[in-house]
Amino acid sequence: MEAIEVTDLRKSYGDTNAVDGVTFTVHAGQTFGIVGHNGAGKTTTVECLLGLKRPDGGTLRVLGRDPARERRALAQRIGAQLQESALPDRIKVVEALRLFASFYHRPADWRQVMERWSLSPLARRAYGDLSGGQKQRLMLALALVGDPEVVVLDELTTGLDPVARRETWRLVGDLKRSGTTVVLVSHYFDETEALCDKVAVFARGRVKAMGTPDEIIARTGTASLEEAYFALEGTTR
Amino acid sequence: MKAFTALTVTELRLLSRDPASLFFTMAFPLMLLVLKRGESAPVPGYLAMIAAIGGMGALPGIVAAYRERKVLKRLATTPVSPLLLLGAQLVAQVTAALAGSTLLVAAAIVIFGAKAPANVPALAVALVLCSVMVCALGFVIAAIMRNTRGAGLIGMLVMFPMIFLAGAAVPRKALPDSLRQIGDFLPLTPGVDALTSAWAGTAAFFPMLILSGIIVAGTALATALFRWE
Repeated sequence: MEAIEVTDLRKSYGDTNAVDGVTFTVHAGQTFGIVGHNGAGKTTTVECLLGLKRPDGGTLRVLGRDPARERRALAQRIGAQLQESALPDRIKVVEALRLFASFYHRPADWRQVMERWSLSPLARRAYGDLSGGQKQRLMLALALVGDPEVVVLDELTTGLDPVARRETWRLVGDLKRSGTTVVLVSHYFDETEALCDKVAVFARGRVKAMGTPDEIIARTGTASLEEAYFALEGTTR
Repeated sequence: MKAFTALTVTELRLLSRDPASLFFTMAFPLMLLVLKRGESAPVPGYLAMIAAIGGMGALPGIVAAYRERKVLKRLATTPVSPLLLLGAQLVAQVTAALAGSTLLVAAAIVIFGAKAPANVPALAVALVLCSVMVCALGFVIAAIMRNTRGAGLIGMLVMFPMIFLAGAAVPRKALPDSLRQIGDFLPLTPGVDALTSAWAGTAAFFPMLILSGIIVAGTALATALFRWE
């Protein structure tokens, strides 16, 4: 079953084509990576998937529905962690989890989510007093408290120190094993290579290459996804 | 409804954890009462002031921060509309104004032996209208200003002259003529009038009508101008 089907997606702001004909599919249970530099159209694509932006062209299906038309219904089944989104400084970890759980018809047990993501020792801590890694862990937990079938994670590890980054990778690995469909947006090639079953390499609003990380690396005759990216960019310039 | 209740409880908690909000809605009016040796005549004005400090002094910065920190956008990815958070903020501000006012009126009566307000239902209606009205103005400021700092600053810059010129912090009869005339055109003035009349026993229909009109106009303007991101 396909969890996400995107066909010829287009979105422009003024004269700039942020997304210029993007096509990909994500199977249920897959961890799909969208990788590329800033301004490659990754976040715009994700915002269309979440129904936050209306595409100018192309078709989008998430769990068989059109996100632009059925955002509310889909929101019950999708969890999201957005780039640079924050919470009020004085809200406590336990309050944020309980609050977000109240938004859903059939949420996960927020106590279990808190335990599973090792947030219990921080339950009474205010958001503003958390470290960068702890904040990100909470945002990830909030994306999961609605017990979603699809989880979208945008720049999950940006700004984290190496230890917190590795810790976050481990959490995404857990999530993957639980059978949830994950869309991981990143500008870190190592992270995408380590975590994703399938990767779309974005550049200037288009998909430059798609496949498993190994396929893309083999096709370009390089040693890593990052080198593959530069090889692809070099040949298309 | 479950989500709205949870959001409102959260907003009230956050307000109660903000030392500045707590001081200006609870402690500061009590200080003024003590300085006035418990005189009850200025108390209805202080109630309007409590409402204005919350709705215009605090609300614009809070709402602009929700936009700037992408809290509104994050909510838009849940089944809950971000509009619900703004509604919860409104209810929390009105509740805080009612709580601060109750404390002040109780202190005036219990500690200073003031006479109880003559028309409590009219006073409550006037206070709710006044509080919703200043919140509507606060939403307009949050809609116009792009960042948190600007919204907070403009809120304060509009609120402070208004509480003096509308007769909330000091009686208007103490003001020079020219300044008193400015007060005739300020939205908080009908709030002070409605509260003062209710305190004395009359439900003043006309000021309440004006307050309602400002609420409708302010909400329409804020809705038209508000940017979600």
